[in-house]
Formats: sequence, structure tokens, C-alpha cells
Amino acid sequence: MKEAKKTLDVRVERTIPAAPGEVFDGWLNPTIPGNPWNAAEKFILDPKVDGLFFWTLNDTSHYGRFTEVERPARIQHTWVSPNTLGEESLVTLTFQKKGEDTLMTLVHSGIPDTDAGRGHEKGWNYFLDIFPGQFGNGSRKEK
Amino acid sequence: MDQLSDVLTAISHPTRRAIIGQLANGPARFLDIAKPFDTALNAVTKHLKLLERAGLIEREKRGREVFISFRGEPLREIAGWLHEYERFWNERLDQFEQHFRNKKKEKK
Repeated sequence: MKEAKKTLDVRVERTIPAAPGEVFDGWLNPTIPGNPWNAAEKFILDPKVDGLFFWTLNDTSHYGRFTEVERPARIQHTWVSPNTLGEESLVTLTFQKKGEDTLMTLVHSGIPDTDAGRGHEKGWNYFLDIFPGQFGNGSRKEK
Repeated sequence: MDQLSDVLTAISHPTRRAIIGQLANGPARFLDIAKPFDTALNAVTKHLKLLERAGLIEREKRGREVFISFRGEPLREIAGWLHEYERFWNERLDQFEQHFRNKKKEKK
């Protein structure tokens, strides 16, 4: 019997100071900083249902297929990269009106839970990238 | 919520990360913490409450003044929980949010 693979979901939320339509369009516009296509060295992007995307950065390629494109509320696409071990994971973005702003939620689900993806060293680096200056009183053992 | 959720919630906001960055250099008083931010004092109070709930800051009374300091232990505990994609998407969305904040400032 094949053992079920362990996967995990990542959920990130931000309140963006613009209307949902503007935020939705920004996410699919490669000239806007922050979306996955903006930092790419090379990309292909066809944001419609069954449209495909490709982007590459530092010799790492990412591929996907759009499964839902519903302006201004929702985008869903598959996501395949070396970090997903070549398997399809799923990225779902929702854009909800919140006063004059937009509550943007990104859920990346079905990510293979591997030691390579989840590690103390990466966790530490993340915090050290974010927080300048000394970090607490302890010494950093992971190197 | 459990502590992992409290800590992840606490570090999910750029202002709270900036507050931690500031406190990583040493303890500070409330008004000193609030000074760099273009936001209402009660908003800063709310951010500090979330950081306190996550165990990332503590308050200490020195004479008539209260000093707030950073505690790194909860971050050490959750470091192993963090996935590469959590880092990736947080960085992307920080940039994306910043773009719209800059755009709004330019409009004013």
C-alpha cells in the first residue's frame, strides 16, 4: 500500500490599501513588485482558466496552470517547482473588500513537508533577515 | 490560539516586525517605540498587546517609567516550524503591500 505523503499548507494575509480590483490586477501584472512574476529572470504568464505560467529565478523554474480567475475576488493556480518535488501544489488567492482596503489571503496548500523545505537554519535566516541588530541573548548555533 | 499561532500572528505585520527590530537594539519606553510610526498611539498599543500575548516582549517598571524589552525565546521555539514557502510568500506580500502603500502616499 502506498503511504500517504505528508503535506502542509502555508497561509499569509495582508491588508492592502487599494480596492480589490486594483489589487487583483496588481497581482497579475509583472511590473508590480511582490508578485511571483515580478522578480523573475524570465517568465511566461497567461492568466486565464487553463492558461499556463512559467518563471525562473536563480536557475529554479516554477510552472503552473490557472484553475480559477474571477476578477476581482479570486485566483487559483497550480504550482510546481523543485521545492514541491515536481508535484502539483495549489495556490489560492482571495481579495475581500475591507472598508477602503482589501484583505488579501494567500493559501499555498499541498506542499510536500520535507526536511529540505522546513529547517531550523532557514527559520533562523528568515528571522535574521527581518530583524536587524542582535537577536535575543542566546548564541546562534546553526551555521 | 496556541503559542505558535500567537507568534506567527505577531510577526505577520510589518509594523510589529519593525517594533521587534527596534527593541532588538535594547529596551525602550512606549513613546520611544511609537515615535517612528506614522500611526495612532492606540494602534501601537494594539500591536504591543499582540506581541506581549505571543511572549515576544515584556514590560519592566523602573521607578516611574515602564520599559519594554524584546524576548527572543518564542522565535527560537518556532524557528523549526517555518517552511521555506512561508518565508517566500511573506517576503513577496511585504513587497506587494509596500508598493500599494507607496502609491497611496504619492496620491496624497
